Amino acid sequence: MQAVQPRPSSAPALQFPKLSALTSERWLVGSFVFVALLAISIGLLLGPAQAYRRAPALRWDIPVFSYYYQALTLHGVLNALVFTTFFIVGFAYFVTQRTLQRALASVQLAWASFVIMLLGVVLAGYAMLTGQANVLYTFYAPMLAHWTFYLGLALVIVGSWVAALVVFMTYFAWRKEHPGEAAPLAVFALLANYLMWFSASLGVAVEVLTMLLPLSLGIIKTTDPQVSRILFWFFGHPLVYFWLIPAYVSWYTMLPKQYGVKLFSDPLARVAFLMIMIFSIPIGVHHLFVDPGISELAKAMHSLLTFVVAVPSLLTAFNIGATLEKAGRARGGGRISWMWKQAWGDPLIAAQICGMLVFAVGGVTGMANASFTLNNALHNTTWVPGHFHTTLAGGVFMTYIGILYWLLPMLRGRALFARPLATAQVYTWFAGILVFGMSMGRAGLEGAIRRTDSGAVGAYTSEAAAPWMNLSAVGGTILLISIILLFTVILGTLFVSKREPQTAAPILVRAPDESPRWTENWNVWVALIIITNIVMWGPVLFGALNWVSGFWSTPYPMQ
Amino acid sequence: MHIDRYERQYLIAVAAVLGLFFAALVSSALVFGVRLPQPEGYINPLTLNRTVFANPGMRNMGNGVYDVYIVARMWAFDAGSDEKDERGQDVLRVPVGSTVNFYLTSADVTHGFIVERHNANIEVLPGHVGRSSTRFNEVGTFHIQCHEYCGRGHQNMYIKIIVEPADGSAA
Ligand code: HEM
Ligand SMILES: [Cu+2]
Ligand SMILES: [Cu+2]
Repeated sequence: MQAVQPRPSSAPALQFPKLSALTSERWLVGSFVFVALLAISIGLLLGPAQAYRRAPALRWDIPVFSYYYQALTLHGVLNALVFTTFFIVGFAYFVTQRTLQRALASVQLAWASFVIMLLGVVLAGYAMLTGQANVLYTFYAPMLAHWTFYLGLALVIVGSWVAALVVFMTYFAWRKEHPGEAAPLAVFALLANYLMWFSASLGVAVEVLTMLLPLSLGIIKTTDPQVSRILFWFFGHPLVYFWLIPAYVSWYTMLPKQYGVKLFSDPLARVAFLMIMIFSIPIGVHHLFVDPGISELAKAMHSLLTFVVAVPSLLTAFNIGATLEKAGRARGGGRISWMWKQAWGDPLIAAQICGMLVFAVGGVTGMANASFTLNNALHNTTWVPGHFHTTLAGGVFMTYIGILYWLLPMLRGRALFARPLATAQVYTWFAGILVFGMSMGRAGLEGAIRRTDSGAVGAYTSEAAAPWMNLSAVGGTILLISIILLFTVILGTLFVSKREPQTAAPILVRAPDESPRWTENWNVWVALIIITNIVMWGPVLFGALNWVSGFWSTPYPMQ
Repeated sequence: MHIDRYERQYLIAVAAVLGLFFAALVSSALVFGVRLPQPEGYINPLTLNRTVFANPGMRNMGNGVYDVYIVARMWAFDAGSDEKDERGQDVLRVPVGSTVNFYLTSADVTHGFIVERHNANIEVLPGHVGRSSTRFNEVGTFHIQCHEYCGRGHQNMYIKIIVEPADGSAA
């Protein structure tokens, strides 16, 4: 053990209260969490409504948003883009400060990131709520939305870049004050996440700025749909890892702390995060396997690297599994029985473990998606939402809720309201998402198409898929119960709970001695990201350019 | 860097399994001929009438092979058929055992193309020609649906292909 030297420090020393938050944390982090919760208060409820609309036995109208694709746009954008991004940025600020035990490098910039992102949500929200942006969360050209939609989403991204800058600045300041010490794992992972996110979002930024925004403003009249899809999915796959890494931060650094055990291997956790950071971008063609403008060779290569990016998740399975074994044994479990000797009654922990279990299901279906020739059978069927409701709405979302169950009480300064309800929320979500994901997946194999208002007059659902679509509405009902429990707990914590908060933030402030320092060679990682993407995306982009009628030459169809 | 013995063995197993999966995929493409759509050429969506898509429809290429040219537009597939269903949409007919090469392009926004219970799947983009081939081994009626959201009428954008017994009697 090294002795901890008291260092002369220029850092603004912050004394963090153990069970509650500083006023500055409360406002900054609280603002991000608040917008995130507002977003899902609309976004989540649309989920069951869509399931009821699509079930052949029901075909109910969606309340308020009667146009199916407007509802679906709101569901996708609010849940998958707004909720996630705000939650992640707020969480990253909280974790950075608490882990590094110092203030953010610039509180002004941190607030600027919030204001920019909020402005973005207001603009995009206006376009979506007024029905001027029924383009779904992937907004493929040449279908167009009102310009405020694109500008709004661009601002959300720019704001998140500012947030990334603040976290990096804080880390570099800490680095100066702590030479020779490895960054704690949570911060290391969040830095990797932001670096990946910044690199990836350049793609969608180019798409929005050179194609969609000028088109929607009428400045240009033509575009290139294939190139726009390529730029979108340069961003779109790393996007899903941007959601996942904060959940991994919780599994790797917070769950062991909550259990009072040590993570099985800190170095291999770092390797996993580095692999995700580097390999999550050069694989996005797996979303474009049946696109006409991309060669089969490029598709096969992106498929291969998609298999490689499964490795860090399989590493995670081992590392977290071994950590859970320690925890289970410490709770009296044996060789096998450690598996069920877990803290199933604690909603903070159960949310994470149940999340892992659903995520594993999603990992297996994801391998099927990654298999390029299988895509002929799966692409754009309901198999795909079946898959990502187990990963995103399952593993990731459940873990975020597990985090919220300690973060919200700290920010509010009140104990979690009705803990048994929170536990019930976790298990209903777990059951609901398994039923929903499995039935959507089966329906897809039987020919049901995703993103299709199959409840509309004259729409077609194959007979073989119909029972499965009906079952997905059952899953949606279990999830609806879980949503009601979730908001009861949240609102109760905010407005009803009177007791003092009970749980401290599960933050580890020092890396273990075996943590390798070479993993913090950020320059090398940046260079690797640039090289792999030139190799893997360069030919794809170049090959898709329309040399016959000229670039960006597809006319925008007048409707 | 220290790696635990079990974890090392586990990693080797992971690499082996993933390698096996990928080898299976490569052989599905190279040995069993499962193909994905790939660049078939560019096209100007405004002047489709000067291309092969001016006359969409089915061409009998002999030996049980058919080429079908289809234009997708909001919100119908124009497969050039004379026969229409009760909704006024095109109906295609092929004898059982036929291999059909579908060629698609879009006249407006992005559409999709999927043949029920057959592994034919294309993103139909304006400016590009997409191709997908499949063999119809089973007698019956199969829906061909648009699988990419293309606006208000998206869910009604589907046509049918009827696979008939080889002797020509009605299915
Ligand atoms: C509360 C339970 C939920 C239910 C019942 C539900 C239901 C659905 C249904 C039925 C669809 C798609 C239908 C279609 O393709 O036509 C869908 C799409 C989607 N959902 Fe959910 N969902 C839920 C929660 C979530 C959550 C928590 C997230 C993300 C954090 C999420 C993200 C998405 C996304 C990104 C799409 C795709 C939208 C698109 O295709 O444009 N959902 N959901
Ligand atoms: Cu992906
Ligand atoms: Cu469509």
